[in-house]
Amino acid sequence: MRTPWSEFWRKFRKQHVALAAGGFVLVLVVLAVLAPYVVPFDAENFFDYDTLNSPPSAKHWFGVDPLGRDIFSRLLMGSRISLTAGFVSVAFGAVIGTVLGLVAGYYEGWWDRAIMRLCDVLFAFPGILLAIAIVAILGSGMANVIIAVSIFSIPTFARLVRGNTLALKHLTYVESARSIGASDTTIVLRHIFPGTISAVVVYFSMRIGTSIITAASLSFLGMGAQPPTPEWGAMLNEARSEMMTAPHVALFPAVAIFLTVLAFNLLGDGLRDALDPKIEQR
Amino acid sequence: MLQYIVKRLLGLVPTLLIVGVLVFLLVHLLPGDPARLAAGPDANPETVQLVRKDLGLDRPLPQQFLRFVAGALTGDFGKSMRTKRQVSTEIADRFAPTFWLTVCAMAWSVVFGMGIGIVSAVWRNRWPDRLGMTLAVSGISFPAFALGMVLMQVFAVQLNWLPTVGADTWKHYILPSLTLGAAVAAIMARFTRSSFVDILQEDFIRTARAKGLSEPVVVAKHALRNALIPVLTMMGLQFGFLLGGSIVVEVVFNWPGMGRLLVDAVDMRDYPVIQALVLLFSLEFILINLIVDVLYGLINPTIRFR
Amino acid sequence: MKPLFRPLAVGALVAAAFAAGPALAAKDVTFAVASTFTTTDPYDANDTLSQAMAKSFYEGLFGFDKDMKLIPVLAESYDVSKDGLVYTIKLKKGVKFHDGTDFKADAVKASFDRVTNPDNKLKRYALYSNIARTDVVDDATARITLKTPFSAFINNLAHPSGVIISPAALKQYGNKDIAFHPVGTGPFKFVEWKATDYLKVARFDGYWKKGYPKVDGITWKPVIDSNSRAAVMQTGEAQFTYPVPYEMAETLKAKPELDIVAAPSIIVRYLSMNTQQKPFDNPKVRQAINYAINKEAVAKVAFGGYATPADAIVPEGVEFSVKTGVWPYDVAKAKALLAEAGYPNGFETELWSAYNHTIAQKVTQVLQQQLQQVGIKTKITLLEAGQRVEKVESWQDPATAPVRLYYVGWSSSTGEADWALRPLLYSESWPPKLFNTAYYKSERVDGDIRNALLTTDKAEKAKLYKDAQETIYKDAPWAPLVTEKLLSANNKKLSGVYTMPDGSFNFTDVDLK
Repeated sequence: MRTPWSEFWRKFRKQHVALAAGGFVLVLVVLAVLAPYVVPFDAENFFDYDTLNSPPSAKHWFGVDPLGRDIFSRLLMGSRISLTAGFVSVAFGAVIGTVLGLVAGYYEGWWDRAIMRLCDVLFAFPGILLAIAIVAILGSGMANVIIAVSIFSIPTFARLVRGNTLALKHLTYVESARSIGASDTTIVLRHIFPGTISAVVVYFSMRIGTSIITAASLSFLGMGAQPPTPEWGAMLNEARSEMMTAPHVALFPAVAIFLTVLAFNLLGDGLRDALDPKIEQR
Repeated sequence: MLQYIVKRLLGLVPTLLIVGVLVFLLVHLLPGDPARLAAGPDANPETVQLVRKDLGLDRPLPQQFLRFVAGALTGDFGKSMRTKRQVSTEIADRFAPTFWLTVCAMAWSVVFGMGIGIVSAVWRNRWPDRLGMTLAVSGISFPAFALGMVLMQVFAVQLNWLPTVGADTWKHYILPSLTLGAAVAAIMARFTRSSFVDILQEDFIRTARAKGLSEPVVVAKHALRNALIPVLTMMGLQFGFLLGGSIVVEVVFNWPGMGRLLVDAVDMRDYPVIQALVLLFSLEFILINLIVDVLYGLINPTIRFR
Repeated sequence: MKPLFRPLAVGALVAAAFAAGPALAAKDVTFAVASTFTTTDPYDANDTLSQAMAKSFYEGLFGFDKDMKLIPVLAESYDVSKDGLVYTIKLKKGVKFHDGTDFKADAVKASFDRVTNPDNKLKRYALYSNIARTDVVDDATARITLKTPFSAFINNLAHPSGVIISPAALKQYGNKDIAFHPVGTGPFKFVEWKATDYLKVARFDGYWKKGYPKVDGITWKPVIDSNSRAAVMQTGEAQFTYPVPYEMAETLKAKPELDIVAAPSIIVRYLSMNTQQKPFDNPKVRQAINYAINKEAVAKVAFGGYATPADAIVPEGVEFSVKTGVWPYDVAKAKALLAEAGYPNGFETELWSAYNHTIAQKVTQVLQQQLQQVGIKTKITLLEAGQRVEKVESWQDPATAPVRLYYVGWSSSTGEADWALRPLLYSESWPPKLFNTAYYKSERVDGDIRNALLTTDKAEKAKLYKDAQETIYKDAPWAPLVTEKLLSANNKKLSGVYTMPDGSFNFTDVDLK
């Protein structure tokens, strides 16, 4: 039998790059979960003041940072933070954005205008600016960074879902559901929402990469994770002053961010091609 | 057409007003007393009080808001709390470096992005496509601040080819604009490719080919014009992205632009500067969208303005 | 796309001009500094850098030499009345302002009358508010009368903000605009200030000290990023820079054309403990923390070795400083003291930093690592300026103050013990008034500080300040960490520029080979 799921799998299986990227993400998630049990050194409280900034070696695979800590262990522990930040913030943004989009698209009129005006205003700020403002008000820290990044993911999801809702609303099966007297809630949840899922899923996966970058950027600007949290952006920020003397301190977190975001982007591309080739890119 | 532009410009007013109110409220929500900050680390309460009066922060909030709105309407945003210079001169000094940086980044990223996109579409699923798309997906995956650090390390510090700091000569523009434009170039490349792929399969292209026109002519004359519309929209959207991106890049390259000014102003709770800058950012963003919409019509006369 | 090429063309022109430049401009020097200037008016400045720069065109009655010793500048000599209230100051003759007018006692009166008038809303008001009246005795004599005796008054006059401004210019430009048209008696005239780019000053031919200045002009160039500051020194775009990041010292030392100078400072870095709150109300806990911190490690890891473990409450170099010795590093003793105090397993607390720059990131993390060894778990927050003001400096009610362990630094800008003790450890200096972030209160220290200000007898003052410092050392409201060294770099062709112990500059003798 051809369920939508098997249909999706049939198409997705052909995307070798995306499959590999998905595998990488999976490995990353497993590593992040297991990190506390597999790290060779304590990421925050192991330190050795005699080997400051020493380059990669058999003992310290990725070298030692300016405070005498093992960079490999810190990167592993940091993966938990970056992945959580990316996933949670997009999840929040997607849920709120989807609800707003459904309401705006289904009811139109006043609701639509109010919500879309709100999105316009949010759009009128460059994303990072909004995030900086929110973090400045709430105070620095990873939780507030996640809130900031979620807020600025909302309008993209709202617009996307609104567009889909407008299109689906006038399809025959929705009209017929309405004619047999189904309530608004039933129509939206049972008939319209499922039609928007694939677009949301694709966007979700593409958005995680952006969110990881934004969260890291905020930490890089000193507004995110507080030391000694091994957040990747914060690690890069700390490594900045050592660029000339110990470039490896900056190299590994930079590569980690790059590979992770790359994997999510490739996965997103694959999902898009398999689920919804018509969706617009970013 | 003119009517359309006027209508859009009028529609701008409520959005800007909301942004203005929001930013005024947000700024006053920021923790930290600006008078205390401006008075400096070894000031006593008496001095802080003097400074508060000097900055006009002793007035009730509604009155401050009215002054801000009245000032903003006449283009007067007051004086910077930090340097006591007019906010307008403060911003004017910083406008050009950011503007040129954005334009440079946009220019080369459009050229490269579209180039790569077209090449990839024409040689679809062959090695130029693979290479181009690998570059593109890498471009959107590399955070600007990390890329900036790498470029600076390699070209300025190790090779000593380019300067690191300042915005004095054209050489200073190379690294920051590359950093800023990388992501945009990547997005443009991906987008151009997909819209080209669609168009190359359209009937009128087949017709052109059937007429015996050479492939370069088909691509350059027929496909490019039609593919330009979505690409243009994308460009407009990305301009806003560049404005935001410049904040991070300016911090990395110590660029004397508006992004740095904003970060510094938030740090020092320089209310007038923050308010003016955010309004300016929003205004630019909205205007760019308007310009894109108008150009849209010029390229494709079948689109009607409502 | 056409306009794109404009900056490129202009850029090429500028580049060409630069290439031809050095041959014409004989002796211009460029100083790369760490931040933009807030103002050219020292009375309205609160940052050391702006005040240091303002010494290009302004001079005070008194000043400090490069070792922070008090010297007369525009003053010839002074007398204090017996009651410590009236200061009579003899002025130098033959000194001219940049606008051609003569420096006379009326300039002294105009300058101090300006700052002591609260209507002018100047940021340095507090430093001079003790002045009751300034009088002109004759052209070469000024008399300043104080409201209450204040034995450190001459040090206040030597503070970099206490400059003499041309009364004619003050009248012409007014209280606010004088900041954009500074006119003083200094060795250089103000030329141009472009906020983000540079501030330029040029040689003043009528300078009173014959043979000075030895160069034709100075360009003050703010280069905020520390890596970039190191870079402009290597490319020769600047001849002097301060501060040099500690991490870069070795790289720059390897350059044959550069000298790296590590100058002593009076900047003390310490950890204050909120003595009004548990568990820091217990002196044993405070002593334990002092024992638990390896100051050598802090100096090595966070300051790249360019700092010495703090051996005094008031650092050496400040008048009346007393060496109390470095608190020994002894983990076992720390644990024992904690156990005695009732915390055998340590406790959890907050560790805040007044700054969020790289060094503070490192210091707080090293402290966290060390306190962890004796069971004290800390949560680090690097406060940005606004948060610092909100949560520490303007916290209204001492009883609820959330600050616990607080990493901060201080330098006594008047070079005297009063300003090193009173703002930080006097019981009336609790926030929001001043910076007693330890909320320390000791009758004995309070009495010492008060009495020292009333007496003009140096020996008596020295005795009082010694007692205060020793009492504080024993009570341990702080864990003094390190006294940092000031790292500057200069091109070997440049001479006569020094970083002063308070982080200001002395460039009277600046010369370029």
